[in-house]
Amino acid sequence: MDDLAIIELYHRREEKAIAESDKKYGTMCRSIALRLLGLRQDAEECVNDTWFAAWNKMPPERPGSLGAYLGRITRNLSVSRWRRDHAHKRYDGMEILLSELEDCVPSPNTVEKDMARQQLAQSISAWLDNLESEDRWLFIRRYWYGDPVNVLAAELGKQANSCSQRLLRLRKNLQAYLESKGVEL
Amino acid sequence: MNSIDIFDGITDIRDDLIDGAKTGSGKKKQHFKKRWFAAVAAILVLAILTGIFLRPENALTAYAIAQAKYPEMAPYPGEPHSQRAYEAWWEDVKAQRRDLGDTSSLRSFFAQSARVFLTDTQGQNKICSPLNIYMALAMLAQLTDGESREQILTLLGSDSMDALRKQASDVWNSNYRDDGALTSILAASVWLNENVNFRQETMDILAQEFYASSYRGKMGSQEFNRALQEWLNEQTGGLLKEQAGNIEMDSETILALATTVYLKAKWAHEFFEKNTAPRTFHSPAGDVETDFMYQRYDQTYFWGNRFAAVCQTFEEGGSMWFLLPDEGVTPEDLLSDEEAMDFLFNKNKWENQKFLFVNKYIPKFDVSSQFDLADGLQEMGITDIFDLALSDFTSMTTDVPEPVILSQANHAARVVIDEEGCTAAAFTVMLGAGAAMPPDEEVDFILDRPFLFCITGDSGLPMFVGVVNYPAGS
Repeated sequence: MDDLAIIELYHRREEKAIAESDKKYGTMCRSIALRLLGLRQDAEECVNDTWFAAWNKMPPERPGSLGAYLGRITRNLSVSRWRRDHAHKRYDGMEILLSELEDCVPSPNTVEKDMARQQLAQSISAWLDNLESEDRWLFIRRYWYGDPVNVLAAELGKQANSCSQRLLRLRKNLQAYLESKGVEL
Repeated sequence: MNSIDIFDGITDIRDDLIDGAKTGSGKKKQHFKKRWFAAVAAILVLAILTGIFLRPENALTAYAIAQAKYPEMAPYPGEPHSQRAYEAWWEDVKAQRRDLGDTSSLRSFFAQSARVFLTDTQGQNKICSPLNIYMALAMLAQLTDGESREQILTLLGSDSMDALRKQASDVWNSNYRDDGALTSILAASVWLNENVNFRQETMDILAQEFYASSYRGKMGSQEFNRALQEWLNEQTGGLLKEQAGNIEMDSETILALATTVYLKAKWAHEFFEKNTAPRTFHSPAGDVETDFMYQRYDQTYFWGNRFAAVCQTFEEGGSMWFLLPDEGVTPEDLLSDEEAMDFLFNKNKWENQKFLFVNKYIPKFDVSSQFDLADGLQEMGITDIFDLALSDFTSMTTDVPEPVILSQANHAARVVIDEEGCTAAAFTVMLGAGAAMPPDEEVDFILDRPFLFCITGDSGLPMFVGVVNYPAGS
């Protein structure tokens, strides 16, 4: 089904929207979540949460690209879950205490924070615009879709090692670019 | 700022950058609509069916006596779009949707026709369109009466002609889409002998309920034959030119019925051209080298007692299923295997499935076939319309001194797939195969020996089913 039709289903509160989203973007979202979290069960829960979040956001939202929109929700949910699990599973001493004590800290200025995040995203987008098309594709596949390096290497017909080197060069290049734009790193 | 902040920043990069990297070589993609038109026939599948009836007479040129009017659809709005353009398009898409209700009798017919028409491949490729055959039979039912009609109604599982008309009209509409973004059309036409008086009422019903136009002219004349061939070529985008050239109406013909199915769709996840490489395909006559597309994707993998299967979806709805028979099992074996047929035509709930990485090696193919449906139809119980003593075409005409019979039922189909387009056919290489569960994380699915495919439209009904013995064509 077409993206516009799926978005329309959300706006009309038809539950078929979720089935159609899963049908068209379930594989992509599962793959993103699985690559970030590593556990199939966690990934599956994350994807279910993605549909729930999309259901709550539409309406009023009407995304320009449904795939990017749903994938972005999955990434955000995955990283939240990772942060939570990371705190509980790996550092259940100090990390948990700190995370609990965060409740005492005055609320952060979320508007400011959101703006900083948006500006950073704009800078990265602008940097991506100036890359050679294959480099741009490689960076986004690796760091947005989370594709493993060996898979990307196979897609490009190159050795994994050569791909890793190229990604390292791109990361350094991004760092230099962000510094030149005055982004604090 | 830390790596999490960078991660968040990357999460929020512009949509077009994300979409641009969704598939392909990393070159920035254009907007959807432009991309669509630039893609040359990812998948082109179509089928024609003609039924030719006996009876004499002569002369004149073709002209239309009843014209089908296809639903008008607002064009797909593309991006960016106005709210009004979007609403108009969406209203038209919704207007085409039909509740097909209980489709069990339909599915039973589809399974039976696939089994009957595809079993005898004699080592060649064979393709049929169950949906196309269904529409042609439904029209034949409208043209016949008495026991001739009853036999068709029984085969299609309909209680009455009214019920069949309603169902056929719903099937037609739910498969129709022509909005500039997706082309899916079941076209039909009736070619009449100018010296016979036909019931105009019946021709009008064919136009209104089956979207079939009627033309009348001199049977056996070059002009009239050319008009039919041109109509077939036009409806099938010229893909079946060779087969259409073989269709001729002689001077004895009373009526010819032509139906076509045309579907053009793109894979939801394209294959990378640079990953396409030659491999060996084990055809019935020996090993041949052919180009295989490769894709690694985490998706659902299915298996049965004698086969493994994966699905490749189309961007605009619909999908292509590839069934790889286990070692020692042929596609024909699967066609008579109840479990495999159940999987192919009723797979709503299938227990043996697993979500994992699938390494798919699928041969690019361009396969076609052409055969007469007559024997198969008779095997399925449609006998009277072939019998001079029993046939009853009185719904069509009573103006002929001798009985009318179905003298020819020609069915041709062609399926083409490549990296951009979709389609079906999968061969698994599940070594050892059988009903064994696949490994936990990853499985190879290599279609390097004869396999089965099934293409379903957005309605879920099987538009094409085929056996591929030679990917490069027979």
